[in-house]
Amino acid sequence: MFSRDVTLTDVERLDRVAARAVETLQMDEDTFRAFYDRMARPVWVYLARITGDRALADDLLQESFYRFLRAERSFDSESHRRNYLYRIATNLAHDRHRSRRGIVSVPVPAEHETSALASHDDVAGDAERRTDLGRAMAKLKPREREMLWLAYAHGSSHEEIAETLGLRRASIKMLLFRARRRLAALLTGQPGQRA
Amino acid sequence: MTIIECPRESDVLDAVASGKWPHRVPELAGHVASCAVCSDVVAVAQAMRADHEVVWQEASIPSSGQAWWRAEMRARHEAILQASRPIAIAQGAALLIAIAVIGAIGWLGWTWIRQEPSIFDLSSVSAQALASPLALSLVVALLTLAVIAPVALYLVLSDE
Repeated sequence: MFSRDVTLTDVERLDRVAARAVETLQMDEDTFRAFYDRMARPVWVYLARITGDRALADDLLQESFYRFLRAERSFDSESHRRNYLYRIATNLAHDRHRSRRGIVSVPVPAEHETSALASHDDVAGDAERRTDLGRAMAKLKPREREMLWLAYAHGSSHEEIAETLGLRRASIKMLLFRARRRLAALLTGQPGQRA
Repeated sequence: MTIIECPRESDVLDAVASGKWPHRVPELAGHVASCAVCSDVVAVAQAMRADHEVVWQEASIPSSGQAWWRAEMRARHEAILQASRPIAIAQGAALLIAIAVIGAIGWLGWTWIRQEPSIFDLSSVSAQALASPLALSLVVALLTLAVIAPVALYLVLSDE
């Protein structure tokens, strides 16, 4: 073994190292592609909504799948695997949020530009006006956005939300209730009058 | 005491998710009208589901082949960077040692030349060399170094 190694040039050695690096990825190409085809779109949508930045969602999606591939762990089930991917995506979004704290925004999708919410000054006055979800989401904490999106857009159970966000299952009910009440108040223009 | 959940919450969510809300579930609509928890659920779930559909359609996702290729390239690149770190350190150390050796020999030679200036007297150089074995070996060592050093530096610093 030793005599064989010492005859290799650095280039050959590095080629072997590179090949081994690919072999140690979490999945082979076919398995990865099937998993990616199932998961990329929902994860991107999740990232786009919790960060409010589509370009950032593109970057984080790529990074999430890469870190997932490099993760040295096994999964009991497809849902465990899926939750782990969401957890990576969530943590990456948190890291990005911390690194640019104060400038997080949730841009309004083009379809919603025509909604009735004209400006922040008008919000309190008109209960009939539909509040744009993007703007309402921007007023929530990142954790609230993640939780609500997973529960009501993605349809995740409390257990799945707890696993994805790294929270205790017992606390999800109360946290979700508060976040939901806040968002509902923003959407209906009735802050403080609900529940 | 604040009520934070309602036993009919999952029925409401199912109705919103299946598109039955509100016209195809009038009995549930009656409940929601009087339940603060369920009315919040409806407001939030309806808005989020609608938004989810819009963003879902707009998503532009790279293909799985592209994603795999990028991940593979990155894994290779990172592995090579990590593996080549000791080589770079060894190269740097070799360069430093070479510089130190050259410096030491130069300093020793300069000291000796200052002590014996007659070495530059060409008419007596061969006699001097024969008379002093130290001078001869130093000249040979310097000439050898002058030839070997560039070759050694090239080998140390070249990538391949």
